[in-house]
Amino acid sequence: MEGNEELRETLVGMRQELDSLRTEAAHATLLLQALDTLLVVKENDDPFTGVFGALLPVFEASHAIVLVQAEEGSDELECTASSHPALLSLRCKADALLTKVLGGRIVTTLTDSALPDWLLDTSDDLSKSQPALYLPLGVRDRRGMLVLLRRPDQDGFDRAHVALARKFSLLASHAMAASRAHQTEAESHRLKHLTDQLTQSQSALAHRVNHDQLTGLANRAYVQELVDKRLSTKKDGERLALAFIDLDDFKRVNDFYGHAVGDALLCGVAERIQSQLRMTDILGRISGDEFVLVLDPFVERREISVLVNRVRDLLKKPFAIEGLSVKCSGSVGVAIFPTHGRDYETLRRNADAAMYSTKSTAKGNVTYFSKAMGQQMDERMSLEERLRNGFAERQFRCVLQAKVDMGTRRVVGFETLARWVDSEGVVHPPATFLQPAGELGLLDGITGMLLDELIQKLPTLNKTFGRDMRYSVNVSAAQASRPGFMRSIVRQVQSSGSAGNFMLELTEESLITASVFQTQTLPMMREAGVGISIDDFGTGYSSLSTLADITADELKIDRSFISSIHLRPRSQSILRAIESLGAALGIYLVAEGVETEEELHFLQDNTAITLGQGYLFHRPEFIDDLVANSGLGVHAA
Amino acid sequence: MLCVFYDSDHHDAPITDFLAERFPGVPVLGGTSCDGGMNQLGLGGRGSIALLAITDPEGDYGTASVLLDGDAATCAEKALHAALDNAGCPGELPELIWIYQAPGHEEEVIAGLRRVVGDRCPIIGGSSADNDVSGKWRQLGSDGVMTDGLVVGVFLSSGGVGFAFQGGYEPAGASGVVTKVAYATNGATGVVTQARGRRIITIDHKPAAEVYNRWTDGLVSGKLSTGGNILAETSMHPLGIDAGKIEDVTHYLVVHPDQVLEGGVLSTFAEVEEGTRLFSMRGDKARLVERAGKVTAAAVANIPGGAANVAGALIVYCAGCKMAVGEQMEGVADAVTKSLRGAPFVGCFTFGEQGVVLNKNAHGNLMISAVAFGR
Repeated sequence: MEGNEELRETLVGMRQELDSLRTEAAHATLLLQALDTLLVVKENDDPFTGVFGALLPVFEASHAIVLVQAEEGSDELECTASSHPALLSLRCKADALLTKVLGGRIVTTLTDSALPDWLLDTSDDLSKSQPALYLPLGVRDRRGMLVLLRRPDQDGFDRAHVALARKFSLLASHAMAASRAHQTEAESHRLKHLTDQLTQSQSALAHRVNHDQLTGLANRAYVQELVDKRLSTKKDGERLALAFIDLDDFKRVNDFYGHAVGDALLCGVAERIQSQLRMTDILGRISGDEFVLVLDPFVERREISVLVNRVRDLLKKPFAIEGLSVKCSGSVGVAIFPTHGRDYETLRRNADAAMYSTKSTAKGNVTYFSKAMGQQMDERMSLEERLRNGFAERQFRCVLQAKVDMGTRRVVGFETLARWVDSEGVVHPPATFLQPAGELGLLDGITGMLLDELIQKLPTLNKTFGRDMRYSVNVSAAQASRPGFMRSIVRQVQSSGSAGNFMLELTEESLITASVFQTQTLPMMREAGVGISIDDFGTGYSSLSTLADITADELKIDRSFISSIHLRPRSQSILRAIESLGAALGIYLVAEGVETEEELHFLQDNTAITLGQGYLFHRPEFIDDLVANSGLGVHAA
Repeated sequence: MLCVFYDSDHHDAPITDFLAERFPGVPVLGGTSCDGGMNQLGLGGRGSIALLAITDPEGDYGTASVLLDGDAATCAEKALHAALDNAGCPGELPELIWIYQAPGHEEEVIAGLRRVVGDRCPIIGGSSADNDVSGKWRQLGSDGVMTDGLVVGVFLSSGGVGFAFQGGYEPAGASGVVTKVAYATNGATGVVTQARGRRIITIDHKPAAEVYNRWTDGLVSGKLSTGGNILAETSMHPLGIDAGKIEDVTHYLVVHPDQVLEGGVLSTFAEVEEGTRLFSMRGDKARLVERAGKVTAAAVANIPGGAANVAGALIVYCAGCKMAVGEQMEGVADAVTKSLRGAPFVGCFTFGEQGVVLNKNAHGNLMISAVAFGR
């Protein structure tokens, strides 16, 4: 998919298709009921009693009236059936509107001038503002119509009702003709064929409406419908378990192997889970890589864990797709009725929260919902709300941490870090808000806010620390993979007039999308004079060839290697390897997270790394504080 | 029914005389369109006149014109009833309402029409345009030409209609909340009737034009101190309003900034409400070209019988998008023609577009609107 525009278009298309299928399925059901009623009535019975019963709820109408030509070809109409007794005696002349309906037009009215006087005159409890829908109807050899009325406080009939009316009008006229006029064998056969077709079409439509087209599993709406039905019949002591299964890193499968393999994997997953189900269990695919498994009934919790664990283990076995061996796993969260919720939505939400907990702790495992998790979820929702408000109020501020020459302690640059200063003045570190902000889609805006502040205060910083200082700004992997966003960042930096003073810090993960980065983003950054730093190096997946191609200016060795380096021979070996790599590629190395004198001494005594960053040298400060305190320690030489 | 669009440099009389002589008694709907119109033969270009005739003996069609003086909503309501009377369908809900009007009162016009039909019936159309935003736009109805009017057309076709309304822009990242607009007032008393309008004073409590300029990397820097028309510059960088979500994916209604006014006020071609979050949007030439074809295809897909049954179409393409697309505009006409499989159509270039967004009738800018007619 090229972008969100295509995604939006696809969603609108899907929504329209689903709405239309649902409408058609509902229409087919209604038509069958109404036709059935017409076909089974005896010669002298009123055929409309049953028809009204079927039509009124679907059209949300309060009254129905059948008007038929008093004589064949006559312009006088008489009411032959009505759900409103007072109208049964009605006779009227066909006016312009009724003539159109007799001619075959479906007419619905504006609500402010709906009912004609000839109808109003017949009963005191009819009002002019009642919306009306007129359907042409052939009754034996005479023309007629069905008039449906809504209450004055209801909305008028819309296009969907007109479409339904068109279908009903046609079929009902056939049915009336056949059932009331001693149908011939051929007519009877034709009608039966029509009804059979409708039944088949209804069943096909119902399946399409309720099932996912790819896997054939129940879709989101149908799973909810099935579960709600089950829950409504549960007696005291009866339980049900809802497992939420989310495939781990499914996006990568799509990215690496393409959508065809991704789709085949989803089908394979569906088959494997299905192979474990009992007759009474329910399995549905509720969105891209999310499945809901409902285990019903169960007595002991052990029954659930045996089945869910089996599903979990099965998903971990490689899938053979198009000659490839595709590895996969699913994170599972389980919620139990009635302990963790009494309705589908609560159970699904809680199972989702449990799954989320699995994802963040140990992917590919199973977690059961708990009260503590519920509390965490509430806290998370509250955090999201506060974050949204904080974003709207531009509460995200920029702090700077110095990068120094470890030998001289001279400041050579600063890393820009985010802080959220909430409305009560509490300062929150990035660990508490960056991930949720990313999930809420606020990260781009926050990066923009930090850059705004930095650019605005750049003249003051230049005055204090000199014009040669470089300021690094962190960019997430997701952001780096979007050339549009990177273009806007580079433009923002260029607007300062000092693009050469800026450096963007990218994680190794960003380099996975190296081709986009190299062809689109890198030339733009180079042209603008913006530097490139690889952050948290050593923890990701970047290949040597990619690193060589990217030609970064700086490699920041992840704090996990620096922490207690003097005590960890394994980290020391890795550090030596990174040092050789830096030297071979001609990239400056920066040791991140230097916090103790021991770490510093080790680096100085055993490596050629000269630049460092960490609490030992400087704790991040708001720019105003940094400038005010510049005489106290952190300053350029 | 006749749909007629023409370059604003034309004199009106020869056109109205021709229509009266060749099509006596036929309802007319249309007006001026920026730099002429387009049809299945391509882009007409400067000086062109585009005309589409709809023949449908079993359908009913009618138009009515009204001057937009006083309460535009009431004027629109009256015109709709008059159009229905003229179509011979008083009191009936039309299948489609098509409007063409002078720019400036679109939201009120839609509000007036919605008072009668709600969202039960699509309201589609455009705001008449001239070639240089100098106010030479006109609206053409069965009664003649107006400069500050509204023409309402009602369609009750026998072959069915399909419609679609979309923009071709994506959020660029930045966003902010409208904190002050120049209020609309109620008559001479100056009572504030609603916190919405077309002049955005502040976004996030800062002068709106400055915020917009920052979002767009200095796109209108040159006009911040002097003020002035920014229609052309902003065509690729409009603003967006959240129009609703499907499956958590936001859909946007696009708003086109047209002028920087004194005090950093940003004037737009559509109303914005205080408290609304505005999103910085960005466009792409190629997509604006393709989009016209896609919108048309979506409209065609909605007619009974789909593409095999299309008789013709009425396309509204924003004049701002036209400016942005420039020399590639022939591609727009080609894309529409392809989606219609060669069926006739007429297209106009407008200063505002009306259509249905997520089942609601709305006014937007830089949008593309298509109505396809079934046989």
